[in-house]
Amino acid sequence: MQLLIEAIGFGIAAGAVLALGAVGFSVQFGMSNILNITYGSLMTLAAYIGLFAIDRGVNPWAALALAGIAVGIASVALHRWLLAPLARRGTRPFAIVIVTVSAGIVLQYVIVAVAGPDAQSYGEQSGQTFHLLGMIMSASQVTIIVLATVLMLGLHLLLTRTTLGRAMRATSSNRILAQSCGIDTDLISDVAWLISGALCGAAGVALAITTVSFDFSIGPIFLIPMIAAAVLGGIGQPYGAMVGGLVVGIATELAAAFSNPAYSEVVAFGILIVMLLVRPRGLFGAAWATRRLMA
Amino acid sequence: MGAWEFYAIVLLVYLGTDLLAAWGLNLEFGVAGIANLAFIVTIAAGAYAYAIFTIGPPAASGSFQEYVGGFNLPFPVAIAAGAVAGAAAGIVIGITGLKRLRQDYQAMAMLVVSLMAATIVSADTPFLNGNAGLVILSTFAPFSDQDPEFQRWAYVGIVLLACIGGYFVLRRFTTGPIGRTLRAMRDDELAAQAIGKDIVGLRLMVQGVGGAFGGLSGALLVAFISGWSPSAWAYVETLALLTAVIVGGMGNDRGVSFGMLLIGIVILQGVQFLNDVPVLKSIEEQLNRTALTQDLGWIVLGTLTIVFIWLRPQGIFPERRPKYGGKPS
Repeated sequence: MQLLIEAIGFGIAAGAVLALGAVGFSVQFGMSNILNITYGSLMTLAAYIGLFAIDRGVNPWAALALAGIAVGIASVALHRWLLAPLARRGTRPFAIVIVTVSAGIVLQYVIVAVAGPDAQSYGEQSGQTFHLLGMIMSASQVTIIVLATVLMLGLHLLLTRTTLGRAMRATSSNRILAQSCGIDTDLISDVAWLISGALCGAAGVALAITTVSFDFSIGPIFLIPMIAAAVLGGIGQPYGAMVGGLVVGIATELAAAFSNPAYSEVVAFGILIVMLLVRPRGLFGAAWATRRLMA
Repeated sequence: MGAWEFYAIVLLVYLGTDLLAAWGLNLEFGVAGIANLAFIVTIAAGAYAYAIFTIGPPAASGSFQEYVGGFNLPFPVAIAAGAVAGAAAGIVIGITGLKRLRQDYQAMAMLVVSLMAATIVSADTPFLNGNAGLVILSTFAPFSDQDPEFQRWAYVGIVLLACIGGYFVLRRFTTGPIGRTLRAMRDDELAAQAIGKDIVGLRLMVQGVGGAFGGLSGALLVAFISGWSPSAWAYVETLALLTAVIVGGMGNDRGVSFGMLLIGIVILQGVQFLNDVPVLKSIEEQLNRTALTQDLGWIVLGTLTIVFIWLRPQGIFPERRPKYGGKPS
């Protein structure tokens, strides 16, 4: 029983990071209908930017903000100058996915060339451990959960209470209609990619903080559970991605605690495959959203 | 045997096995339109099948590797087993792709399948010796009673025979009525179904045949390099094949063969020679990175894919669309 509670605790912490990444990925798909596989390598970039800052004495959380901004800008550039022009020309979605996979590989190997393939670490995280309802969590894990909750709340308030948020939801739902309402959809897309890119960067640094050591493959490794979370919740739906992140995080930790830990990744893969084959619109996706997924 | 002669043999064997793999992927993706990002799993299945068919039982080799099988069968049987294993893997992958999803979703599902397969094989050590992979200890078959130089050139001959045979089989599927049916399925699945084509059967058949090509490629390769582990079939390897298909020209055999020559040989092998270029050497020293040329190879590959999709998605040798002569009456 104790193991169960501890596993759930770890799951919540892992789920918080997954939720951060999954929400960003989901927003990008909802806005531009693109499965952006470069997202994984962008998380790696964030982790290494964080490393660069922390090695020079910057506080890890400031480094997280810095990496978030940097990756946000990189994401906007990627979308505006590579992906959006291809989409405008009518390139098939599969070809665009191949482009994002290739861009991810180019970015990954540039990082390897510059920073080397060895494992890196942010160093020992000192700080007390918290005991909460039987779950044991370190200070950084708690901070990440709080941070993720704050960011999710912030996103929710942005989407529901501001004009920008309404414009984002409109563009995501029906681009042409949004344009005829006078919304500058290109600008709104850029803003969405900036915000989701920032979440990507935050997720990358958060991953590096919570793992003992990481190397250039950290982004792509965690991208799949994030996509699983996003698809589980209903791709294009930020709220679904939040729930999906928690579910995937807890499921993975439970699997690691009660069976062979090496198989815990397979849980996330399995969730993704099962969702794609059985209910592609996810748990909270609207039925009309499936038209985007079907051939 | 001089170093250059040996290198030439290595290049020829790599080219031959790469061609078989590229033809298989082209059949699945270029001709039939199946976005199979898990193709590398069929190659791995062929390689592992060859390994466990050709080496003896685990206990005999001193028990330093754990695996299932170990049948100690002769070369042709093991190669055939590789092709069959590839076909089986292809069909299993094909079943996951049967749901009518948008093509990029299907591609992602298959990518996840290949990652799952790699994780399961790495984690489950008793199955195929986990992360360490399998090493083929027996002497280099076939012709093991001849001197090594003859052996190696003979192996090039075997690969050449496999390629010639493979090409004939490939043409049977990419030309004629079957070829046209597959292209119809690729171009407009709904229309093909409307005139009565069995889409599910066609897809599974194509994945089986393409998988057999992949399995044969993997088996021939592993017999030459004598070892195979999960790191040899990371998902980036499928991207190298896909780049060859896209750059060379989708849907036609000549284009894909050229693409494979360009990608597999000129680029992935050619970057090794860049080691001696002074500019790169100094960059290497500055960055303290010894395998810079390998990274460069992947960077070039990725960039090439992006450039081609941007500028010339039909590839260097576009597919020739058939022209039907005469005026409509």
